[in-house]
Amino acid sequence: MNRYENSAVSNAGDIAKRRFLGQLRRGHGIPGRKYGVIYRSVLMENLQYVANMALGFFGYFVFIYIFIKLWEYMYRTPEELIAGYSKEQMIWYVMMTEMMWFGSNASAVGWQVKTDIRGGNIAYLMNKPYHYTLYILAKYTGEWSIRLPMYAGLAVVIGTVMVGAIPGFRLITVPAMALCIMFGLTINAVFKICIGLLSFWIEDATPFQWLYDKLILVVGTIFPIEIFPGALQPFFKLTPIYTVCYGPAKLIVDFQPAKCVEILAAQAVYLAAGCGLMFFVYRKGVKKLYVNGG
Amino acid sequence: MLTAVKNQTRVCLLSLKYNIMREMVNKVTFLMNIIFMMLNNACILIQWFILFRLREEIGGYTMREIMMLWGLTAASFGLSHILFARVFSLPELIVSGKLDSYLVQPKNVLLGVLTSATAVSAIGDFLYGVALLLFCGLAVGGFLLALLLIVTGTVILTAFALLFGSLAFWFVRVEILGNQMVMGIVSFATYPDGIFQGISRFLLYFIIPVGMAVYHPVHILAEFDAGRLFTVLGYACLLSTAAVAVFYRGLRRYSSSSLMEARM
Amino acid sequence: MQAIRVEALTKTFRVRRKEKGMRGSIKAILRPQTEEIRAVHGVSFGVEEGEMLAFIGPNGAGKSTTIKMLTGILYPDGGRVEVLGIDPTKKRRQLAYQIGTVFGQKEQLWTHLTPYDNFRFFGAIYDIPDEEMEHRIGELAERFELHEFINTPVRNLSLGQRIRCEIVASLIHRPKVLFLDEPTIGLDPVVKEQIRNLIRQMNREYNTTIFLTSHDVGDIEKLCKRIIIVNDGQIVLDDSMEHLKYHYLHKKIVEVKMQEETALPQVAGITVLKQKGSHARLEVDTGAVEIGDALRQINVENMEDINISNVPLENIIMEIYRAKDRQQVKAAIAPVG
Repeated sequence: MNRYENSAVSNAGDIAKRRFLGQLRRGHGIPGRKYGVIYRSVLMENLQYVANMALGFFGYFVFIYIFIKLWEYMYRTPEELIAGYSKEQMIWYVMMTEMMWFGSNASAVGWQVKTDIRGGNIAYLMNKPYHYTLYILAKYTGEWSIRLPMYAGLAVVIGTVMVGAIPGFRLITVPAMALCIMFGLTINAVFKICIGLLSFWIEDATPFQWLYDKLILVVGTIFPIEIFPGALQPFFKLTPIYTVCYGPAKLIVDFQPAKCVEILAAQAVYLAAGCGLMFFVYRKGVKKLYVNGG
Repeated sequence: MLTAVKNQTRVCLLSLKYNIMREMVNKVTFLMNIIFMMLNNACILIQWFILFRLREEIGGYTMREIMMLWGLTAASFGLSHILFARVFSLPELIVSGKLDSYLVQPKNVLLGVLTSATAVSAIGDFLYGVALLLFCGLAVGGFLLALLLIVTGTVILTAFALLFGSLAFWFVRVEILGNQMVMGIVSFATYPDGIFQGISRFLLYFIIPVGMAVYHPVHILAEFDAGRLFTVLGYACLLSTAAVAVFYRGLRRYSSSSLMEARM
Repeated sequence: MQAIRVEALTKTFRVRRKEKGMRGSIKAILRPQTEEIRAVHGVSFGVEEGEMLAFIGPNGAGKSTTIKMLTGILYPDGGRVEVLGIDPTKKRRQLAYQIGTVFGQKEQLWTHLTPYDNFRFFGAIYDIPDEEMEHRIGELAERFELHEFINTPVRNLSLGQRIRCEIVASLIHRPKVLFLDEPTIGLDPVVKEQIRNLIRQMNREYNTTIFLTSHDVGDIEKLCKRIIIVNDGQIVLDDSMEHLKYHYLHKKIVEVKMQEETALPQVAGITVLKQKGSHARLEVDTGAVEIGDALRQINVENMEDINISNVPLENIIMEIYRAKDRQQVKAAIAPVG
């Protein structure tokens, strides 16, 4: 069982497209009708976008709702601290990591890479005057930079209404947080692309995406890593989790300048290493493609 | 009548067999999908180990009940996606007019449609669920009861998806809604019902059928309660009857004077 | 007995109508207006057992809608349908045992399985016992030469082999009537010919009634003795192919090559279609001028080559599609005299 994968959304788009083509074909011969159909389908597509958005919000809300209930149950007294977090901080932490998850829809990247490679589209894309992986990254960044602010807005509304403000939150720290989130999402995408690139060798890399996602989800998304036994924590700090989700969310609920610098530094290292890995895997994959002719 | 049932069963089983054969064309992918899905599900147990370090019981559940909860949910979700995977993409078939090919066959349309696909990773979900239930330390009778409850869970989940999916006969854009509802069920079905109170509890038991599909069954396994069992059985019958009725009602609309845009 | 009987068949679709602009969209939501489109309107015809009928018409003429009503997928709004004496609306499943359908664009085979496994599946759908099934598969494989690839997964077959299997799969239950909707769409000429042979053979050996729709004139010309043309949901022509091609046809195409460029005759009934140097293409309306008289107008001494032909069937059909109603169709193809 996996969480929201966006196949459903793309399906609905396909239906709209098929219907559109069908109508265009049928509308053939009736003057002016064609334009009506085009107009309508564009309008529908936009409405569809809004509808998808709203349903995505619903999914986000369900998760947050469950976690609010869970932590309300777990905290026996309002003043209790668990792993150093107050109840409000704990819920805001989940809200922020889930906001990044939903707002980035990172499964789309891995899916795109896999489809390009397995579908043979890669043969055209790799001869274009750009680097394929950076092209995917840029396209994806364009997508989340629209989605994420919407989820951020929603998160702020749900948070202030159902949980209350984050204790000690200062507006001045927002730019630093935004930077951390941006880096975090990019690093995540780089790793997802790396896994997607495995499709050069194996038929279906999706199962690896599941495991990677689950690692991010269990260790970094639903809890802060402080909640794990002390012995494990240095290890977690070395995994991408620290830079992808824990870091940014931690800064939002409990901002400390020193921590911010540390996380940004770690992100820089991760981004460099991740990109190096991505280029390396891509080069190997392309070479394999040339040898075997796809 | 009996031969008709026999023939229909034969077609459904053959369909299932061929679906699985299709997925087995690449054996590595097939096995990887199953094994990784089991691992994937197993990862979630980490969450519960952590939570149970903080408190001994959560919403009235101990680790054992959580395992039952996850076992039942994963197995029901899995079985539904093995046998009736198409129900989850029913709106697409309806809207793009793909029911036609089932309508020219001399067999039950609904069963033909539902059994026309299988999700491989669901085999992993199912096996994981059953394995988890085996680890719960149930007696033989308890385990058999668990199997029955997997079946009712499967029926409820499938019927719910069928009910929502069939709305596509009337409203074209229900696909995403249906999927979100199913995922919503699964999300709720993996947390103890004890943490929900008031209105949300009412909703979970009576509107979206998580209570009937999973929560009641967990309580039945933890402590047998004939009343609850009959409630679940009755609800499963009722919901599936309603879903089938709505589907056939919609199918009549599909065949009679439906709007042209939904056809051809 | 007639295999298919259709009387005054009617089907009307409602299409949502919306004015342009945002205001239009809002209005459409508040008070939806629908427009009626008569997909099929008062269609009547009969098909004899063992007949091969071409049912053609331009896109959106109502062909698919008619087929869907004949097979029970769609219910008519008015009129009566009987296929093999069964009303498809009331006894769809009973009828399904006796008819076969091939929709050219839609695949019904499982592509990862071999044709053999596929045939077994269809056998199960039509309740055919296993031994009987083996026998039938053997027979069909032999008759339609499938042996080479009967154990190769369908996805590895060529398009032509695949369509052949599609058609054979729909024969497994020995249907008395076969509906073929665009069976040769997207195929190369060689494969088209194979498919046509298969259909012809099927009709001859099993006396299967064939109901064919196609945009390919070759399919129609080579397979069917009778043709029904529908346009705007109505039958505009129901006649034998023979009649359509020779009797009704009152136009000839004359192509001449002269030794040197000469002036062409200016006579009523002769239209110059094309003239380039010493080549000329004329259309002779034999209703207005006799073919002999027309030829006499051409300077025979100066002639190097001549070719007289009928207007291709394709053009005749095009003409009929363009005509608005039955009267115009009659005018377009009116018999000589």
